[in-house]
Amino acid sequence: MDATIIIDSLPSLLKATLMTIILAAVSIVIALVIGFLTAIVRIVKIRVLTEIASVYVSIIRGTPLLVQIFVIYYGFPQIGISLDPISSGILALSLNAGAYLSESFRASILAIDKGQMEAAVSMGMTYWQALRRIILPQSLRIAIPTLSNSFIILIKDTSLVSVITVTELLQMSSLVIAKTFEPLTIYLTAAAIYWVVITGFTLLLDNMERRTSRHLVR
Amino acid sequence: MGVIQIENLQKKFGDNAVLRGVDLTVDKSEVVVIMGPSGSGKSTFLRCLTFLEEPCDGIIHIGDYKVNAGGKLDRSRRQTIRELRKKTGFVFQSFNLFPHKTALENVMEGPIVIHGAKPDEARKRAEELLIKVGLGDRCNHYPAQLSGGQQQRVAIARSLSLNPTVMLYDEPTSALDPELVREVLQVIKDLAREGMTMVIVTHEMNFAKEVADRVIFMDGGVIIEQGTAKEIFEHPKEERTKKFLTMVEE
Repeated sequence: MDATIIIDSLPSLLKATLMTIILAAVSIVIALVIGFLTAIVRIVKIRVLTEIASVYVSIIRGTPLLVQIFVIYYGFPQIGISLDPISSGILALSLNAGAYLSESFRASILAIDKGQMEAAVSMGMTYWQALRRIILPQSLRIAIPTLSNSFIILIKDTSLVSVITVTELLQMSSLVIAKTFEPLTIYLTAAAIYWVVITGFTLLLDNMERRTSRHLVR
Repeated sequence: MGVIQIENLQKKFGDNAVLRGVDLTVDKSEVVVIMGPSGSGKSTFLRCLTFLEEPCDGIIHIGDYKVNAGGKLDRSRRQTIRELRKKTGFVFQSFNLFPHKTALENVMEGPIVIHGAKPDEARKRAEELLIKVGLGDRCNHYPAQLSGGQQQRVAIARSLSLNPTVMLYDEPTSALDPELVREVLQVIKDLAREGMTMVIVTHEMNFAKEVADRVIFMDGGVIIEQGTAKEIFEHPKEERTKKFLTMVEE
């Protein structure tokens, strides 16, 4: 192991880390929207949508992410949908994480005591008012720990997108290794960078959970 | 004609008939206490009045709103049920305060969401109501920081915040430690004195003797007998009432 190799390769690795973070961040945002809507559809039982939502969750959870990436990037052009590698990656990651997030959201909404809904509607609130003002604020707090699990997995899964030529951290590491012939050093450096990114993200969410739990015990 | 008028209320859970045709008329400012063994249908009856349970048959008439049971849950019917609920305060055995909101915010919630009140007005009104139930110094406490008795008083204030025509209580003191029961009953007594129309499901006989204009004894999903507290407790006519009273008094 050689420190100069690490220092020399760091600029390219960090630049690629930026791509990893962008992939993760954009996918998280889209996945949150997909997951949230899917959960609501399944909780409220909106006729056809409920069936579509459960088929979606079942397909995504029942197939490997790598296969999903291949289907989107290599398969979709056959039916006239050609996406560039980054868009394909983001689409696959968001659809994938969205399915898992929807289950977290769903569980967290179902975890709220039914007396909360009863208290809200017995005041004359509509179902949606009760959901928005009373149920969701409480369930989102419960959801944070499981959400952060999914987020961590999503950040790691960005490495799979390297197989469709997106130059994120892992892909860049391989490129650097091709020049330096130092796989151990470079892969360990990449691992360290992943660790830093994920730990930073975890701290952020822990902090958010603490702030939203203020009302519980003092 | 009464403020509450219930005709032939029936409710089944599957094959199990919990209410077998209950009629009840409650006059303005009347306080009615419903007693009965567990499983007698008294809680279900109360919950049916605000459609927390959908009755299978019967007519519910509270204040200006009348809803026939068992109709299709279309837009206009939902709207009527909501209007009826706004005028009917409901107090739960388990309080059901909103844990993520302070006592004050709990009491402000209804006026803001239901009546579109401005936060300032809602706050002022909520403070008055919390003072009224003796919790003026607990406005900024979260439910988890309050005792059961205090939580139930906040819940009563929350119901009052919408200026209900009637108040319904489903065993309001059953989840409380004995020493906390009195403070909640005192608030209900004060409301009775102010002329609030109330229907209270409770096991507190002494309380019933003090505030009830009428005591109703329910069993098997029907009203067995009713009368003044004195009539029911001291001279029950029906065998089932007598049996229940001896069991409670033991």
